[in-house]
Amino acid sequence: MSTIIDEQHKDVDPDQMDQDQDIEEYDLDKIKLLPGSSEDGTAASFQIVDEDHTLGNSLRYVIMKNPEVEFVGYSIPHPSENKLNIRIQTYGSITAVEALHLGLENLSQLCGVIETKFMEALN
Amino acid sequence: MDIDKDTESGPAITIRSSERDHVNFVLKNVDLAVANSVRRTMMAEVPTLAIDLVEIDVNTSVLADEFIAHRLGLIPLVSDSIDELSYSRDCTCDQYCNKCSVKLELAAKCDTDSTMNIYASDLAKFQNGSTLGDPVIRDAQGKGSLICKLRKHQELRITCIAKKGIAKEHAKWSPCSAVGFEYDPWNKLKHTDYWYEESVEDEWPKSENCEWEEAPDPEAPFDYNARANNFYVDIETIGSLSPNDVFVKSLETLQLKLAGISVELNKDTVESSNAESGGLTTYGRNGGETPEINYGGSYGGSSWS
Repeated sequence: MSTIIDEQHKDVDPDQMDQDQDIEEYDLDKIKLLPGSSEDGTAASFQIVDEDHTLGNSLRYVIMKNPEVEFVGYSIPHPSENKLNIRIQTYGSITAVEALHLGLENLSQLCGVIETKFMEALN
Repeated sequence: MDIDKDTESGPAITIRSSERDHVNFVLKNVDLAVANSVRRTMMAEVPTLAIDLVEIDVNTSVLADEFIAHRLGLIPLVSDSIDELSYSRDCTCDQYCNKCSVKLELAAKCDTDSTMNIYASDLAKFQNGSTLGDPVIRDAQGKGSLICKLRKHQELRITCIAKKGIAKEHAKWSPCSAVGFEYDPWNKLKHTDYWYEESVEDEWPKSENCEWEEAPDPEAPFDYNARANNFYVDIETIGSLSPNDVFVKSLETLQLKLAGISVELNKDTVESSNAESGGLTTYGRNGGETPEINYGGSYGGSSWS
């Protein structure tokens, strides 16, 4: 990650750079694309920071439920870095980004359903 | 997409018992991955309030400053309206203010010959217009947890700043003392391997949840298609949040995390998309042409073909 930042700020004066780095703490790059994506966007790897198995495993499961998705896998590349890598490959009718979006949305909906069911069971 | 293809009704919940600090229910028709995510969120990512900053004015007790500070941190504080409080790190104030913290004061001096006990109920909260930040008191005498003991002439004068946080950072912010999580009580899936000397059946006690599932036929071959479907969840809290709230808030926390990623993903695709800065693209799909992007350099010559 540091190499990319260096590239971006190569020609920027130091004051500007400090400011940009402050913003960075606000999770401006919560998610980024990793090298190794296909040109048509149907296969891509993403890196999400500050997430772990809590999100990774269930997100993997929900994305895998999508019949358009050929492969999903996630890994925590190193236990002492809080990074989550997720790889998505589709059969070609949707892009990996779309598959990820759909996965996020569906998992959120699933949480919503569980919450409603719990509230119903309480009353 | 149909999440519940193999089941008729989708996720279902049966509450078996519900008490003040305790709820026990069966969660059905969800995947192990999802159930485990909820469990992990309940234990480590539901925000609560806990004492985080301790200013010690006078401490002539036998306990060291940091020892008392640690004990203060572990006292459960009422966190029902924690949503009104923001994280100190996100607040616009310099260090802390009443929008991101709750102030409590402890002043005690022993003047008697007998030992004086200092309890959580001796913490005086600076009024903030709600119950947020009151120490949780559950004993019949209304004293709360014991902080320390003072001998004659010993004194404590302490100011505490309670902040919002999650248990991933420090366990004192965990709303749960325990989360029970069981599935497949008959071990049909063979996810666990019971050690035994002579006989598994005789040496291992059966789970209470066995009654909720059919006993396996010992003659039946292993069903490699079987999946965990019923989860026996038992949430026990420390009083800062009710167990029902913990469950509901864990789901909301999860949704918040997902939304956060979704927003970032959107922004990147819209502002799209300088691959050099790690942007995301969906080019070449909506009839448009693949833009010319120079992949070189920033990833150190990695394969972007």
